[in-house]
Amino acid sequence: MKKLAFVVGLLALIIAGATAQDKVPVKFLYYADATQAGYAEDMANWDKFKAANPGIDLQMEILVNQPYHQKLSAYISAGQIPDIMTVWPTTRDSSALLQGQKLLKDLKKVLPADLLSKFSASALDVKQQTSGQISELPQSFTYTTTVYANAGLLKSLGLKVPTNYAELKALVPKLKVKGIQTLLLPDADKWPAQSCLFSTISGRLLGDEFIDAVKAHKAKFTDKSFVGALAFYQQLYTDGVIDKADVNLGYGDGPGIFASGKAALFVDGDWRVGAYLTDKSTGKALIDPAAQKDFELVNFPAIPGEKNKNSASAIAGVGLGINKDLTGAKLEAAKKVLEFYYSKETMTMKWETGAFVPARTDLSSTKLEPLAVKLPAYYKTVVKTTYVLDGALDPSVFNILNDGLQAIGLGVKTPADVAAEMQKAQDALK
Amino acid sequence: MEVVVALTLRNNAEKRRAYWSFVTPAFFLYLLVFAFPIVISILLSLSDYNGGKMFGGTPWSIIGFQQYSKLFVDPSFWLALKNNVYIVLISVFGQLPLGFILAYIIYRKIVKWGEGWQAVLYVPAIISVIVLGIMWKLVFASNGLIADIENHLLATSFSNGLGSILAGAGGFHITDGVVQQILKISDPQVIASFANPVQDLKDLILGGGYDAGHLDVFKTEMTNLLAPKWSPDFMSKQDVAMIPIMFVTLWCWTGMYLILFLANMQKIDSQIIEAARIDGANELQVMSRVIIPSLSGVLANAAILCIAGSLNTFALIWAMTAGGPMNITQVLAIYMYQNAFIGAPNFPLANAISMAIVVFSLLLIALTMYVEKKFGGKEE
Repeated sequence: MKKLAFVVGLLALIIAGATAQDKVPVKFLYYADATQAGYAEDMANWDKFKAANPGIDLQMEILVNQPYHQKLSAYISAGQIPDIMTVWPTTRDSSALLQGQKLLKDLKKVLPADLLSKFSASALDVKQQTSGQISELPQSFTYTTTVYANAGLLKSLGLKVPTNYAELKALVPKLKVKGIQTLLLPDADKWPAQSCLFSTISGRLLGDEFIDAVKAHKAKFTDKSFVGALAFYQQLYTDGVIDKADVNLGYGDGPGIFASGKAALFVDGDWRVGAYLTDKSTGKALIDPAAQKDFELVNFPAIPGEKNKNSASAIAGVGLGINKDLTGAKLEAAKKVLEFYYSKETMTMKWETGAFVPARTDLSSTKLEPLAVKLPAYYKTVVKTTYVLDGALDPSVFNILNDGLQAIGLGVKTPADVAAEMQKAQDALK
Repeated sequence: MEVVVALTLRNNAEKRRAYWSFVTPAFFLYLLVFAFPIVISILLSLSDYNGGKMFGGTPWSIIGFQQYSKLFVDPSFWLALKNNVYIVLISVFGQLPLGFILAYIIYRKIVKWGEGWQAVLYVPAIISVIVLGIMWKLVFASNGLIADIENHLLATSFSNGLGSILAGAGGFHITDGVVQQILKISDPQVIASFANPVQDLKDLILGGGYDAGHLDVFKTEMTNLLAPKWSPDFMSKQDVAMIPIMFVTLWCWTGMYLILFLANMQKIDSQIIEAARIDGANELQVMSRVIIPSLSGVLANAAILCIAGSLNTFALIWAMTAGGPMNITQVLAIYMYQNAFIGAPNFPLANAISMAIVVFSLLLIALTMYVEKKFGGKEE
């Protein structure tokens, strides 16, 4: 009996092994936030792919924020780059090596032309990617500055959404008496202040041509104009528009504080819409769909002295990339994964769950929640897009800016100090 | 005679074979797990390796001490090193003496319920460091427990002051004089945001729909607007920001050293202590003349553990502050981590930092051993 059980077990192992060998293993490091609405739909969607492709063994590892970047950086340094991974278009974190050393395939040569033709021109613009090729197909065009306004709350207090800085500043005492913050900007993670606000301030007051001039060593961060932009950022704190305490507030704390009515305005990227939509797995939303009509998505108010009115910082969004060393069956399997991800069905699902507004242009949906519908309308109000500074500057420079914005917010450094440190780092790149 | 020599030789050869057959596997394991990574780390710190496959990828070469020269002129390195020194100091001169004194008190039964106190003091050492870090972060945060208590007290004081001003004015009579009195007890930063403080505040109050029938609403809203606010500004000041971290470090691991010292104290012959007491020694003299010399070796070893642990400290500080704000609470391990894994990685620099940690540790440990040899007592 024991011998029979042993033989059966051994046969089962051999069959399982043989079957497994027929499957093409594909290692996929995927960036997804399990706390964001849409995660359950996302995972169910990937299960559909696995069921429809029994010949592909899709081994997904799902992480978010810094743990994602740290894991990917560790894989890269170990020479074990995943077959497919979520990639940023520039030198942000783990993508610095992927883009900088061109460790990914040029998707223009890999994906079918008829799929690529359905994406917007800005998504396919190689100038948006540090590698100078389509290392990742941007799933969206990301507006890193979006002001979420609780218009209903403001209206109940006899106030309105500000359109210029004077109106924004005038809100401060009127909101503070009610115990409400004017503009929420959690910056403990350092990058939000630069990416979600200061990039737009810089674009409005200076334009991309200033940044290009600095990189070409024809202008300096210590010039009056850039110091003036930092001084305006400082003014937001001294005028009480942004609370100093926000510098130590975690990035993940923002949506809850805003949704609970403790802040009238919240500046973050357009990707944050997903935080407020209904999580289908629980049926709960931070802002109920019925209440979403009382919220607006607007641009940052007009800044005194701005050159580029109604501009906002934006950049090609993240997307999936393929390891450049993939060939044969693995490459074919990876192509199938990407074609599935960028399909009409998946991109529509992402749109409906508030993950992003897809760069794919042939989509429509009747299932969008009110706040998700407002995003394309917001994009139309942006007359011009400008650089996101962590996509345009070298990491050694924008890291100093990130720290410097925290220091300015806390009143520990002056705009001139921060500008000088940035210029020193820029000079070291000569 | 030849037989004895032959037998001895055979025994010695057998002993050598036995020795090497037991030692060799462990030796190779040591080389693989400890020595090889250290050698690679040293090589990387001297190289221009830029990520990707180490072998078979983009070629890299040894370029000398460039990373070290970059390191030694980097103010962030010296700041991180200084912060590590603070941690070492609180560990060696805080955890050890406090752990020792508490162990002595329990050992000598100076307090009752000794086993209970042991357990209570040891609990922080067994809880996950990340959990402790997040817990204390919430205590020290600008919207945390301490800030909440302070701001509640300030708000109550302001509200009472406002009540007194209105009572003095005979009710809800807003004149320039009353507004000036209110401004005197208000937050100066809020006053600075008004162009004309007296007029602006008067307009705000008179235009806010307040009246004598709703004084509570008036007091609440004026408190929200004008009451001085306490915020943990010390958490954004260099050096001072390390104080909460040092406090938590002391709180976390003193219990561990308490257990270590207590266990070793219990090995001391109690008759020596009784003899000292009979000879008229008080508790302080027993501790300083009997216990400490007996445990000098343990103290030295504990100091070495302290130093090694302090220089490697990462998780607690990462959970509390992530080295921020503005990197002012950054320690060497966090500085190394940020260079290796955050932003565009610089692996040679990160390895140079790790070598600096090793060298600094060895220096401090050598100093500790020298002090123990010079001033330590003889343990039985």
